[in-house]
Amino acid sequence: MKIQFRIRRYNPNDRNAPEPYYQAYTVEVALGMTVLEALLKISEEQDSTLSFRKSCRSAICGSCAMTVNGFSRLACNLQVLPEFQKMGGMTIEPLANHRAVKDLVVDMTPFWNKMEKVNPFLMPTEKTASNAVSAEDEELIDQSQKCIMCACCNAECNALEIDERFVAPAALAKAWRFVGDVREGHGVKRLERLSEEHGMWDCVRCVHCTQYCPKGVAPLKQIERLRSAAMKAGILDNPGAKHVEAMAESVEKFGRLDEAAMTFKTLGFLKSLGKIPLGIRMELHGKMPHPYIVPQIEGIEEVREIYREAAAREKEKKKE
Amino acid sequence: MRAAIEAARSGLDVAVVSKIYPVRSHSVAAQGGINAALKAADSWEAHMFDTVKGSDYLGDQDAIEVMCREAPSDILELERMGAVFSRDSEGNIAQRPFGGAGYPRTCYLADRTGHGMLHVMYEQLVKHGVFIYDEWHVLRLIVEDGSARGVIALELDTGKLHRLHSKSVVIATGGYGRVYRTTTNALSSTGDGMGLALDAGVPLMDMEFVQFHPTVLPRTGILMTEGARGEGGFLVNSKGERFMEKYAPKVKELASRDVVSRAEQTEIEEGRGVDGCVLLDLRHLGAEKIKTRLSQIRGLAIDFAGVDPVTTPVPVKPGSHYSMGGIAVDKDCQTAVPGLFAAGESACVSVHGANRLGGNSLLETIVFGRRAGVSAAEYCKATEAKPFPDSALREACHSVAMILKRDAGESIFALKSAMNDAMEDFCGIFRNKERLAKGYGKIRELQERYKKAALGDRSDYFNNELLHYLELGQMLDISECILLGAMNREESRGSHFRTDFPKRDDVNWLRHTLVHKEGGEFRLGYRDVSVTKFKPEERKY
Repeated sequence: MKIQFRIRRYNPNDRNAPEPYYQAYTVEVALGMTVLEALLKISEEQDSTLSFRKSCRSAICGSCAMTVNGFSRLACNLQVLPEFQKMGGMTIEPLANHRAVKDLVVDMTPFWNKMEKVNPFLMPTEKTASNAVSAEDEELIDQSQKCIMCACCNAECNALEIDERFVAPAALAKAWRFVGDVREGHGVKRLERLSEEHGMWDCVRCVHCTQYCPKGVAPLKQIERLRSAAMKAGILDNPGAKHVEAMAESVEKFGRLDEAAMTFKTLGFLKSLGKIPLGIRMELHGKMPHPYIVPQIEGIEEVREIYREAAAREKEKKKE
Repeated sequence: MRAAIEAARSGLDVAVVSKIYPVRSHSVAAQGGINAALKAADSWEAHMFDTVKGSDYLGDQDAIEVMCREAPSDILELERMGAVFSRDSEGNIAQRPFGGAGYPRTCYLADRTGHGMLHVMYEQLVKHGVFIYDEWHVLRLIVEDGSARGVIALELDTGKLHRLHSKSVVIATGGYGRVYRTTTNALSSTGDGMGLALDAGVPLMDMEFVQFHPTVLPRTGILMTEGARGEGGFLVNSKGERFMEKYAPKVKELASRDVVSRAEQTEIEEGRGVDGCVLLDLRHLGAEKIKTRLSQIRGLAIDFAGVDPVTTPVPVKPGSHYSMGGIAVDKDCQTAVPGLFAAGESACVSVHGANRLGGNSLLETIVFGRRAGVSAAEYCKATEAKPFPDSALREACHSVAMILKRDAGESIFALKSAMNDAMEDFCGIFRNKERLAKGYGKIRELQERYKKAALGDRSDYFNNELLHYLELGQMLDISECILLGAMNREESRGSHFRTDFPKRDDVNWLRHTLVHKEGGEFRLGYRDVSVTKFKPEERKY
């Protein structure tokens, strides 16, 4: 079957066409052919100037992540025909949230820098080094160990899109790989660093990272594990942890969120003042929650029962 | 990377130069595991015997002894670095049976052992502050007055050439599987380091020994791990027979790889195949075991063959998998040129001889990677830096410019495809004089055409085609070495099977082949095999 591929081309050094543009290629696609095979066919038979990364072609090296029909995918394990039938076209672009270098090749430097920021190596102490890793211990870090560093998660991350300094899901999943390792000796110190600005609390939990990860790493799950480990370790003096505490408190009290009070509890009084212009804009758009009217919901006792149950379970767990 | 870590630990200034980012290297795809005699019931001697026998007695026994003795401590060192291995019910490192091994001694992390280990190597590079020149392709090894001076590399994303001046260089560039059409190897496994070494005056050893893995998906060449058979998978022909009962009555599917690949090829050629394949049947293992122990290969079978092994047998065939041969080094990883070292698949120590056992390649990278790091570090500490020849960079620039300037010529992709055909058809599992001579003639012809090939992409900037042109040049040289070795070795041993000389011949051929390149011409030489503990005997499984 002949299928047309629309590929985003870009070569800033090409004097005739320094701006990005789309180029169409028609490829005879056989059953089972992957997007990577199709790209190879294009570069070998039609246009050898097309640049893209590739290596293992079996979804384990992480080279060939790109945007296919608007979503981050590995080109090597995505079959063309089902994708084409589902989406009605084949548009291929470089990964989002990363600067394109040429055609489908993006600058991965920020990705590696973020990775290096979380000290991606085991730091045991003399005491922890000999801790044996049981099958259960392994299970706890197994998802994070499956990461192939393809950057699909970072490309789909909403928080990274608005703040390039955000450490982003790939490096956070890697961080859990060590925090969750029974042999790690500096877990608390790591959690303190991750609780700083641009760290794990900047995640907005949109679940894109987990949704688009091709290897089942579930970065959001690892971020949640980091967050609850940090709070358990008593690292509470930061807006993220305060926000969680305020949320829990509000729900226990009213059965719903007291959004105005949450601002104060998360940021403190002085910093909250800085949010006044935002509040005014929200009011003008009719989005301002009314601070004085926070009625308790009906059946608040049921909510509180959940809290008591959770606390009891936590206590039991500690006993074990 | 293991070598870089070791050298960095001793306080040296170390950099890794790689045409792809280090976590992309093809070790990442190693599925099955890494061998070490860890249990009291096992011993390094038993591991050594299995390796020697597996090598069809061509492996150097002094080197194999080093590897098998040091394996357990290297596994523990990997764990200390942060690697996680799967555990048995008692909490010890679990070990599974592998082909050609007399004891279950293959440690693993599910079916992604190489991935786990490679990422630990990356972690340790970061930890030790090793600088990574990623996406820099080495064009030349610089050797002057008989010692290594560094390399010249092409920075892919700018097209600039750089000189990297160093006291020593360790080559660890992996295998050349891409010489063949059906291969489990990555698109980047083009044997670059072997070609560079050849040009720098270092001989390649035992190049005729190419391992064909028995369980490879057709068309894509994607690997189904030997662990699938280790866990109890069957190989079945079109009549539904477990044909390995015929070829290796005792160990059946777990005979060594050369034996199983030849059995499959025989079944296929004698008309008992299924569309040019045989079937890997895992159904009797049950969904639970397949999903936990073999989850990655289940995913691969579904994505690339459209078959779920839980319900359907997977069609597989033999495909080129591993290069037993490589840059000739001693057991300290030293090449013939002082300051130049090699390790891993690109090197030939030789621990695999005529056939490698599953689980021994990751082991080789770790044991000899470490040893190469130690050797290079010792060399650096004992040697003064010598100047980098001025003309080298100019010459390299000139040669790249010449390639980019060439106006009209054949496409490199057509040449590559012709090379793949020649090697697959004339230098595959079953070889004979006539086939090999045809293949050799074809490669010689392609060598000439290569010199006149031209690129469609003339730009400097992330020029993929230029990279592939350079890779192809190395692969043609490597093909020629494989063919020369295969034509001259008039016997059958391990992976090298001559239908016109079907017997092993220890009188004439218990020796290594060396190929030198001098003034653009190839010359053969030979070297004796180290035999210490185990005298050659017939190899039966």
